[in-house]
Amino acid sequence: MTVIELSDVIKRYQNGEETVKALKRVDFEASLGEMVTVIGPSGSGKSTMLNILGLLDTPTEGTVELRNKNVTNFSEDELTNERRSGIGFVFQEFHLLPMLTATENVELPSMWDTSVDRRDRAKELLRRVGLGDRLSHTPDELSGGQRQRVAIARALINRPEILLADEPTGNLDQDTGRTILEELTRLKQDENIAIISVTHDPQLKEYTDRSVRLVDGVIQA
Amino acid sequence: MTIGDLFRRVPSVQMAWRNLGRNRVRTGLATLGIIIGVVAIASLGMAGAALQQQADSNLSGLTDEIRIASGEDSEEDGVTPGQVDKIRNVVPEATIVPQRTNSTTISVNNEESIVSVTAVTDANALYDVSAGEAPARLLSGALISSSTAQSLGLELGDPVKFNGNLYRVRGFLAEEDGFGPSGGNELVVPLSALSEQDNYDSVTVIASDGESAIQIADIIEQEFNQQGRKTEEILDVSTFASAQENINSFLSTLNLALLGIGSISLIVASVAILNVMLMSTIERRGEIGVLRAVGIRRNEVLRMILAEAGFLGLIGGTLGAVVSMGAGIIIFRFLADNGMLVFTWRGLQHLLSGFGFAVFASLLSGIYPAWKAANDHPVEALRG
Repeated sequence: MTVIELSDVIKRYQNGEETVKALKRVDFEASLGEMVTVIGPSGSGKSTMLNILGLLDTPTEGTVELRNKNVTNFSEDELTNERRSGIGFVFQEFHLLPMLTATENVELPSMWDTSVDRRDRAKELLRRVGLGDRLSHTPDELSGGQRQRVAIARALINRPEILLADEPTGNLDQDTGRTILEELTRLKQDENIAIISVTHDPQLKEYTDRSVRLVDGVIQA
Repeated sequence: MTIGDLFRRVPSVQMAWRNLGRNRVRTGLATLGIIIGVVAIASLGMAGAALQQQADSNLSGLTDEIRIASGEDSEEDGVTPGQVDKIRNVVPEATIVPQRTNSTTISVNNEESIVSVTAVTDANALYDVSAGEAPARLLSGALISSSTAQSLGLELGDPVKFNGNLYRVRGFLAEEDGFGPSGGNELVVPLSALSEQDNYDSVTVIASDGESAIQIADIIEQEFNQQGRKTEEILDVSTFASAQENINSFLSTLNLALLGIGSISLIVASVAILNVMLMSTIERRGEIGVLRAVGIRRNEVLRMILAEAGFLGLIGGTLGAVVSMGAGIIIFRFLADNGMLVFTWRGLQHLLSGFGFAVFASLLSGIYPAWKAANDHPVEALRG
């Protein structure tokens, strides 16, 4: 089942005097339960594509459909709500908040939603990624791999259908990277979510269901 | 429910508190700036209030008095007994004290002193004594300024010679602060001592307070000085109420100036908060981008940063008010002779306004950084 779809997406940036075309008529879709990897050299438009898939940015032309709903012209606040409920993010630099414990970091996306208490789910998720004994540790007390696991747990707190990963293994050594990829594969099946990751890491190929190559803003067959 | 649970219900406040705890030195310095601002504004406000308090207590004995003497259009030398009776009739509620005055030199044991002599019956209404008594009907004996008595070596019961008669000293006049009859170099004798004068040199009318003193002065003016349309000054009527008004208006100007100086320091403090908040949001730009990416709404980010500024104001304001209370005790002790006055409304209002101003200025300074952080584009913010 297609959960997110880009159709004919063009993204132009104004960089000083000149206009940069980062994406040139990109068509892309991802389904529940699959892991898609977007590969390509730097400057190819991977990050731009991920930002548009994550509803952090809007296309200049073309449409974005989330669960068959056209969200292209949503306001910033509407996009924020869609991000909160349907999309999880994992970043290369983990981006955990240093003053919060692992559990609190996992709870972060639902923290302002005082109608639900996600503390138990946060602890549950941390146990599932193997951090049951690190619940009250702050990020500076955790290793790189452990931090990325906390970030993955955080991405899953609101039961999203899409998990976007920007170079998830970029700051990790090979072995740790491998365990993270195994973790993602397991979660993809358990939670039935679409995982879209952007990477340079050839290791990712082993775990991915499908690869898409992006060069100069164009998807190559 | 624990405090932690309570905190979890207000996530903006919880996050703000954690954020402030991250850079304690910066938070501490920002708070110190606010404390100084609050202490400046509250102390200067209290200094003004203490001066006002002191002026009020010094003047209160004067403003309810009206002094009446012979006017320039009067054919009489002084105020006649008939006029005194008329005054008594038109203002029956006030105490009327007619006086005759003179001056003389008294000598005791080769020590000499020039004194002004006041002949009066109702000494009690005009004078306070530091020792002895001030009779309501002074028919014999005399009262003398305590400083004069001291320099002449006089004690209670000693005789003083005036106009060939001897008067026993019955009381020492208390020295008074402020204006008016100071109680220095003064001899008070019965009216009969100056009986060769038919008229009175002056009449003091004592009203219940400053306001009724002004009304009584008007009534007497109407009665004696307004002849139809013509205005003649038969009696010279003067009150100290206008003097008090002048002093009050001077003091309120002074108060404004002092508060203005105090506000400058709080403005400096709020610029410091603006700077601190701006710095800390710029530093945390990437973090705020993460918050926005994971679905934290713009107004939630805004509330979080405003809460940080609000906390700085609350902490700085509270500590500032506590320090100011200490400063206030000293200020009121020195300027108004009573440190405890800081706990009356006169002092407390300045502590409250200092505190309120601190919270207000902090929130005001937080608006721009909060708005800026909340409206940053998430993609740009994530780049840090």
